Amino acid sequence: MTLQNLTEPLKAGTIVKILNSGYQRARIAEYRGPFGPKGARIYRVLVQRKPRHVYIEVREDQLEVLRAK
Amino acid sequence: MPSVAFARWQNDRTPRLNEVDSHCAVVLASVPPNPTFLHENLRGFVLHLSAYFQGFCRDLYTEWSQIWIAAIPLGFQATAQAQFSAQLALEKGNPTYENINRDFSRFGFVLNLHAASPAGAQLVTDLGHLNEWRNKAAHQGTKPLGGGVPATLTLPIVQGWKASCDAVATLLDGIMRGELRRIMGVAPW
Repeated sequence: MTLQNLTEPLKAGTIVKILNSGYQRARIAEYRGPFGPKGARIYRVLVQRKPRHVYIEVREDQLEVLRAK
Repeated sequence: MPSVAFARWQNDRTPRLNEVDSHCAVVLASVPPNPTFLHENLRGFVLHLSAYFQGFCRDLYTEWSQIWIAAIPLGFQATAQAQFSAQLALEKGNPTYENINRDFSRFGFVLNLHAASPAGAQLVTDLGHLNEWRNKAAHQGTKPLGGGVPATLTLPIVQGWKASCDAVATLLDGIMRGELRRIMGVAPW
């Protein structure tokens, strides 16, 4: 699912892929706000990695939705 | 033009804190006086103030790091974002000068509030006292507070800490804008 022209931020729980990264699958934990360059939306996402989970803050344009919430 | 984080501090967080401030003033002026209720409200004010200031610091950190990250090749960005997000002191820790410095030092310069303003030393002291009281209020602390920390909360004291948080927020916004302009050659926001 393309993330161009989204009117509302993605919801917490949405399953996404972080493009151009080794992280295959992540879950939106929180919409942080328009803190990216030129007001880009920033999300805190939870990546399930062993041995522990990792939180990463990424821009919306880096995300591809795998399963909407 | 301020950062998004600072605009949010001014236009959202500060008005909310002003509401709590006004409520405490009403309780202070109530007849007959209710010192126990006033003290509980002041403790709540301290918790709100520390939490909102922590939120501002986290927002500014996020904004700064995302501008920094956008300037590096796309294939490195997620890795850099993971590094900037890892082990943040401000994620769970109080917004103490030490925690703010620890996180913001990842950007490659020393944050020196003492040198940034003639009032810097007082601002750092106020931040320390606010967070001492924040812990006492949040954890129902019974131990005496450290030297120099007010033993009793009053509305003017908490209002003074609020003014200091506002001054530190203004300083941080300016310092970070200046550092980004120095590094990138253009104003970041």
